[in-house]
Amino acid sequence: MSNAYLTYAAKRLGQAVVVILLAYVFTFVVVSILPGDPITSVLRNPQNGFREEEIAEIIAAQGLDKPIIVQLWHSLSGFLTGDLGISMRSNRPVSTLIAEVLPSTLILASAGLAVALVLAMLVAYGTRFVPKRYGQGLLRGFPSLFLSVPNFVIGLVLIHLFGFQLGLFRVINPDSFWATLFAAIALGIPISAQIAEVLIANLDKEAEQEYATVARSRGLGQARLFVSHLLKPASLPVVTVIALMIGELLGGSLITETVFGRTGIGSLVQRSVSTQDLPVLQAIVSLGAVIFVLVNLVADLLYPLLDPRVKILGGRKRQPTTADETSIGPTRVVMP
Amino acid sequence: MASQDRLSAALIHAITVAPAPQPVTPLLSVDNLSVSYGRQDVVHDVAFELGRGKSLALIGESGSGKSTIARAILRLLPSGATASGAVRFGGDNLLALPERRFRPLRGRQIGFVPQDPGNALNPVRTIGAQAMEAAELTDEPNASIRKALVLETFAQVGLENPQRVFSSYPHQLSGGMLQRVLIGLAVLPRPALLIADEPTSALDVTIQKRILDLLSRLQHDLNISLLLITHDLAIASERTDSLVVLKNGVVQEAGKTSSVFSSPTSAYARKLHADVPALNPDRYARLRETGLRLRSADEAPKIEVNAVRKSFTVDGRTLTAVNDISFAVAPGTTHALVGESGSGKTTTIRLLLGLEEPDAGEISVAGERLSGRSHASLRAVWRHLQLVYQNPFTSLDPTWTVEHLVGEPLDRFKVGTPKERAERVREALANVGLAEHLLTRKPGALSGGQRQRVAIARALVLKPDVIVLDEPTSALDVSVQADIVEVLLSLQAKLGLTYVFVSHDLALVRQLAHTVSVMQQGSIVEHGSVADIFGNPQHPYTATLLESIPAGITNLANTTQPKPREVFRKEQIA
Repeated sequence: MSNAYLTYAAKRLGQAVVVILLAYVFTFVVVSILPGDPITSVLRNPQNGFREEEIAEIIAAQGLDKPIIVQLWHSLSGFLTGDLGISMRSNRPVSTLIAEVLPSTLILASAGLAVALVLAMLVAYGTRFVPKRYGQGLLRGFPSLFLSVPNFVIGLVLIHLFGFQLGLFRVINPDSFWATLFAAIALGIPISAQIAEVLIANLDKEAEQEYATVARSRGLGQARLFVSHLLKPASLPVVTVIALMIGELLGGSLITETVFGRTGIGSLVQRSVSTQDLPVLQAIVSLGAVIFVLVNLVADLLYPLLDPRVKILGGRKRQPTTADETSIGPTRVVMP
Repeated sequence: MASQDRLSAALIHAITVAPAPQPVTPLLSVDNLSVSYGRQDVVHDVAFELGRGKSLALIGESGSGKSTIARAILRLLPSGATASGAVRFGGDNLLALPERRFRPLRGRQIGFVPQDPGNALNPVRTIGAQAMEAAELTDEPNASIRKALVLETFAQVGLENPQRVFSSYPHQLSGGMLQRVLIGLAVLPRPALLIADEPTSALDVTIQKRILDLLSRLQHDLNISLLLITHDLAIASERTDSLVVLKNGVVQEAGKTSSVFSSPTSAYARKLHADVPALNPDRYARLRETGLRLRSADEAPKIEVNAVRKSFTVDGRTLTAVNDISFAVAPGTTHALVGESGSGKTTTIRLLLGLEEPDAGEISVAGERLSGRSHASLRAVWRHLQLVYQNPFTSLDPTWTVEHLVGEPLDRFKVGTPKERAERVREALANVGLAEHLLTRKPGALSGGQRQRVAIARALVLKPDVIVLDEPTSALDVSVQADIVEVLLSLQAKLGLTYVFVSHDLALVRQLAHTVSVMQQGSIVEHGSVADIFGNPQHPYTATLLESIPAGITNLANTTQPKPREVFRKEQIA
C-alpha cells in the first residue's frame, strides 16, 4: 500500500469525522429551533402526572435550563464519548434502547442488500444470455417496473401470498428465518432495481468496447467473456451506487419493519416521534448520519484498490519512458 | 536444460497440431462477399484470395468497408449486420459454419491485431491474465509451461522484462508496447492467418515503423499469412504482396502490389496515389512559392519565440515541457513544429495562444509581446491569432448552425453591424470553398472535410494574421486531407497568412511548410528550411523521423524484405 494511498485515506477519514460532527450539530440546532417546546409539553402533560418539583429536577438533570450553546456542548461531548443521554419517556439510557433494536434492523438491512445484489446480478446476467424471443426485453424492463412499486406494496403482497396463502411463515413470529427472508426480499427488490439498472447499462457499454471484441477474437465464449472480462469493469460503479443507496436501504428497513411487524429501529422511531422523545430522535438521526458517512468512506477507500486505473492525486507518477511515448489509456483521478 | 526442451516441444506441438490446409488451394478465399447493416450495403461483392505465407492489403478510406470485411472473416460483426457470399478458409466456408465449429478457429487459426491498442485490452485485468487466455489456445496442459510460452512470446516481440509486462495493467504501458503485446498474443497460438486492422494508425511515426517491421518479421519467420488493413497506400505497398483497393464497399482495383502501385489503372487508385503526401513531396510546390513571393523581403517576423521555457510541477517533481526554445516565423510563410507525442508541441501552442505563461523567455505575435498581459489585452492579440483544432468531429458545438459557428468570433469581438457580420461569414465560407446553402446546417450533417473547412472559416472570419494549425488533418482521410491542404495553401497565397503548423506527419510538412523545427522531449533539436532539413538532416533524431516515413516501394525487386535494422530494438518498460 503506497504512501499516497495512506495520505488519501487519512484525509478522507478526517473529512468523514467533520461531516458527522456537522450533521450532529445541525440536527441539534434544527430540533432546538422547532416551534413549540416539546420538552415542557411532555413533562407538563397532565397524563404523565409530574409534580412541579420533579419537573424542575428533570430539567436540571438534563441541563435544559442552561443556554443552548452549553447544552450543545454537553450533548456533543456526550455523543463523542458514547453517552447519548437519557430517554425522556422511559428514563433509560438511549444507547441501551438503541442497542436492543439495532441488531434486528442491521440483519434486515444486510439481508435486503444481499437479496438486492443477487437479484440484480441474475437480471443483468439474464439480459446478456436470455435470447430476445424468450423475454430478454422483459428482464430489461425489470428495473423501471420495480423502481415504480413502493416496497411496502411488495411487502404486503409477499405477506399475503407466502404468509397467508402458502403458509411459508407465520405473521405473528416476525423474527423467524422465513419471515426475515421475505422481509429482506420486499426490501431488496426496489434496491436491486437500481443496481440492476446501472449494471445492465454498464455491461452493454463494456460489451461494445474494443477489448471485448479482441477477447472474442481469442476464441472466448460468451459466458467466459461475461465472467472474466465484462463483470468486473461493469460492477465497479455499483460500489458507488450502493454507497449512495444506503440511506434508502435504512429508510426502507424502517417501513418494512412496520409492514412485517418487526421490532427494530423503525418501531423505536415511531414511538419516539409520537412521544417527542428528543434525545432518542437526536441519537437515531446521528446514527443514520454516521452509517451513511462510514459506508461512503469505505466505498471511497475501496475504489482505488478495486480499479487499477484510479490514480490518487499527490501520488507518485511513473517515469516517462525513453523508448516509447507516454502511456495512453483512460485515467480516473481521485481528488484527495 | 530440461525445461527449455519442454518449452520447445510445446511450441512444436502448437505448430504441428494445426491441421495444414491443402497446399494447392489458397488459405483464404473470399467470394461475392456482401455485408449490410439493415438495408444499407457497406460491402458489395468483394472477392480476393490470399495464399499461405503471403500478404495482402485491403486499402481504402473510412467507409470503404475494409474493417467490415475483416470482421466478417472473423465473424465479429456487430449484431444487426448480415454477411452473404463465401469466405473459404482451409476448405470450410466460415460464414456457414455453426458457432460451435467456428469458435475453435478463432485465435488458433485466425489471429487478430486491432487498431487502437489503448482500448484493446481489458483495463481492469493484468496483461498476464489476458495473455494466458491466448496461451490456452495452444492446448498445452501444463499451466507453468503456458506461462513460459507467454513470457517467451513477449521477448520475441521485443518487450524487455517480460515478467514485468506480464504483471502490469494496460494503462501502465505505452501504446507501442501494448501493440507489441497484442501482436504477441495473436501469434502465440501460431495461427495460419493474421488479420491486422490498421495496427499502427494510433501510434507515433517511429513506433509505427518498428511495429510494421515486427509484423513483417513474424510473418516471414512463422510463415503466417497476413491480411493487412490500412488507409495508407505507402505502408501497404511496402509491406504486402498484393493489394485490394476498396471504395464504398466495392473493389476498385486488385492485383500484385508492384503493378498496382507503379501503374494503377482505376481512377480511384490513381487519386489515392496522388493524395499520399509521402509519395508526392512536390505536389504543392508552386502554390507554396506563390505564397512566398507575396511578402516583401525585409519585413519583421510575425511570430518571435525567444528562449522560452515552461515546466510543470507534478507531485513535487518538475517536468520541463518546453526547454529553451526559440524560433521566428516570417510573414506569409508556414513554420512547422514537428515531433512525436510528448515532445512539447502542445505546450508550445498553449504558450503561443497565451493560455500558459512562460517561466522564462519572450513570445511576440505581430510585434506585440504576450507575457505579462491581462486577459482583456490578450483578447486584442487573439484577434490576430486564431487556432484550428485537430479534430473537427469534437471541436464544433453540434447544436449550432454553420452560420452561428462561423459568426461567433465576430459577435465576441463586436465587429461591425449584423449585416456586415453576415457578409463576412459568407466571405469566409466562400474562401474555404463551402457553398452558401450549408449556412443552416449543423455539424452532424457535414462530412469531416466540410467540418474542418467550417473550423478554418471560423478562424478566418476575424481576418487574423496568424493561424495556428494543430494537426488539422490528422483525423481526416488522405483525399480529404489533400483538399484541406489545398485550401490552406491557396488562402495563404491569397491573403498572405502566416501559419504555425503542428504535426507529427513529416511527409505532410514537406508538402506545405517553408521552415521546420524538430522537437524532441521539449527541445528543438534542429531547425531550418524544409529543403535543408529533409535533404540533409544533421540530428540523429531527425534522421530517424525521416527514415520512418513510409515511402512506398522504392526498389521494386525488394518488395517484402523487412529492413533488419531496428527490428530488434527493445522497448523499455516504465
